[in-house]
Amino acid sequence: MALLPSSLWDRVRSCPKSQDPWIPPQKTLGTRYTHLYLLCELVSDDSRCRLSLDDRVLSSLVRDTISRVHGTFGAAACSIGFAVRYLNAYTGIVLLRCRKEFYQLVWSALPFITYLENKGHRYPCFFNTLHVGGTIRTCQKFLIQYNRRQLLILLQNCTDEGEREAIQKSVTRSCLLEEEEESSEEAAEAME
Amino acid sequence: MPAPAATYERVVYKNPSEHCYMKVCLEFQDCGVGLIAAQFKRLLISAVKDLFGEVDAALPLDILHYEEKTLSAISRICSSGLVKLWSSLTLLGSYKGKKCAFQVIQVSPFLLALSGNSRELVLD
Repeated sequence: MALLPSSLWDRVRSCPKSQDPWIPPQKTLGTRYTHLYLLCELVSDDSRCRLSLDDRVLSSLVRDTISRVHGTFGAAACSIGFAVRYLNAYTGIVLLRCRKEFYQLVWSALPFITYLENKGHRYPCFFNTLHVGGTIRTCQKFLIQYNRRQLLILLQNCTDEGEREAIQKSVTRSCLLEEEEESSEEAAEAME
Repeated sequence: MPAPAATYERVVYKNPSEHCYMKVCLEFQDCGVGLIAAQFKRLLISAVKDLFGEVDAALPLDILHYEEKTLSAISRICSSGLVKLWSSLTLLGSYKGKKCAFQVIQVSPFLLALSGNSRELVLD
């Protein structure tokens, strides 16, 4: 006994997930476009590189790279839903949004970015993709966990006593926040 | 005695050939433009590069046979790149400022099929 009419059920079941990034998978139900969020980290030797990060500079850089790597078709396909949603110049974390049908084109063009150009200065850098999420919230959750792990790694590697104290303070603060979050989630579940 | 039941076997042939062969002809609006084989191949690759970027311009494309007088060639490309090559040839409009167009005469996954073309048959 099907809740949907059988013709519609066939369409839902046979939604193919195509392997080729150039052919988007067929949409069956719903008319809204879905987006994917790419969480990336800008890694560079030069410390001035991250500080000169600007969302317009980054947006034009990514669009130029996609146009070089995937041509006119790629540039047009990726630039429709493309936006830089979050940018942190101190840690170099960037959140990019793109359409779900063409996210592989954007993702595969990111390793081809080799330098950041600002006011005539060229800083060599590269992009590390940390996480691909369907919503900003999942990316934020991942980022919080990732930052906690990075703090612990920094604690191991730091040499200066003053730095060590500052990092230890941040680690304890983040652990307290984590416990608070968990207890508030449990309280919310218990109430329901 | 009844005959034994026939067993049927279903064979699905999904075009496993890895290359596709294309016979193309380049036509210019004005006469008097000549290209050697290397320039022709460079033109094909630059057409794909314009539309699909550097990644697809690196697809293994070969010119198997080229005639300089008629500017026609038989080219080979891997099957996944056929659509990309054909669409980029469709959208190519000019070579060094001169207007031109590609005419695709025949496409086939088998090279032998390009030896005869029923469209050019002359009936006596």
